[in-house]
Amino acid sequence: MATAKELSDFLAAVERRAFKQTTYAVRDDHAALDIVQDAMMKLATKYADKPVAEFPMLFQRILQNTMRDYWRRQKVRNLWTTLLSSFGGSAEAGDERDPLETIDVEDDSDQPHAQLERSQTIQLIELAIQKLPARQREAFVLRYWEDMDVAETAKIMGCSDGSVKTHCSRAVHALALTLKKQGLDKLGISSSMAMNKGLKS
Amino acid sequence: MLDTNENHKNKMNAEVDPVFSVENQLSDADVAHYVVDLLDDHAQHLTAVTAKRLLVARNLAVRQMVDSQAVQSGGHTLAWFGDQLERHRTVSAAIILCAILLAFYTAQQFGWNANLEDSDAFLLASDLPPEAYADKGFDTWLVSKSD
Repeated sequence: MATAKELSDFLAAVERRAFKQTTYAVRDDHAALDIVQDAMMKLATKYADKPVAEFPMLFQRILQNTMRDYWRRQKVRNLWTTLLSSFGGSAEAGDERDPLETIDVEDDSDQPHAQLERSQTIQLIELAIQKLPARQREAFVLRYWEDMDVAETAKIMGCSDGSVKTHCSRAVHALALTLKKQGLDKLGISSSMAMNKGLKS
Repeated sequence: MLDTNENHKNKMNAEVDPVFSVENQLSDADVAHYVVDLLDDHAQHLTAVTAKRLLVARNLAVRQMVDSQAVQSGGHTLAWFGDQLERHRTVSAAIILCAILLAFYTAQQFGWNANLEDSDAFLLASDLPPEAYADKGFDTWLVSKSD
């Protein structure tokens, strides 16, 4: 059984990542905070008797389920909103924008060049992750960001190992492609990647 | 010679389109780890408001855990009894039967004492002396006397 301190330490270690992951999924900071808090409470209430080693997987499963609940509620809400707005006849209906095309790149000449490039790269990556299909994003986050193995990811996602590999591969390719389209060389990612590659080899 | 030409071609490609060449060299895992490194770094730089909100949420969760553990430990005694009763059914049945018999006996005792008090009161309030009731020939004498 985990102690209060162990739970606190665990949550402190994962809360920021969990918040960012949720933000990418729901695209709303306030909703993301609510979802993370909800997941924390569920973990503390229902799984306090579990050993700490099981917390990462349990927490991720709770978080993913809470996100799904949020989407279900949103779906119902949107249905009603669409029905009601169809009576009003909104002129802006169907006006979709690609956030990657209209990204507002900060022109902050006071900051060092490298820092600016990095922040721009992060913005692009965040938008690219937000644009990924939900399952691909989920697989990418669990497999690479949470550093879970394929079996654990498959268990949380409720699918086969093969599906996880497919989702991960597609997500990475989509990310690489999106970043390339946006001009990786201009943002300094190519040189960083090359450097990383050089360090690893 | 062929290898040299291939290398030269790759080198030319890299000069023309460095992104293309770099991407070709990188595996999925390399790209993913690069992205994750950036995201991890970025996740550490949240606004003060968000960080505070997360801290509050964490503290609430920990308090919730402490409370739920306290409730569970309070319920452990009852749970232990329930578990024991379930395990030793025969002994449990005997204990329950004994308890019922004891309760019945106690209730009877209280009832007998009450009757005794009533009969004492009757004897004291009666016109006849108490010795009259102890005399076995008194009833016969009373009947013959009335005749």
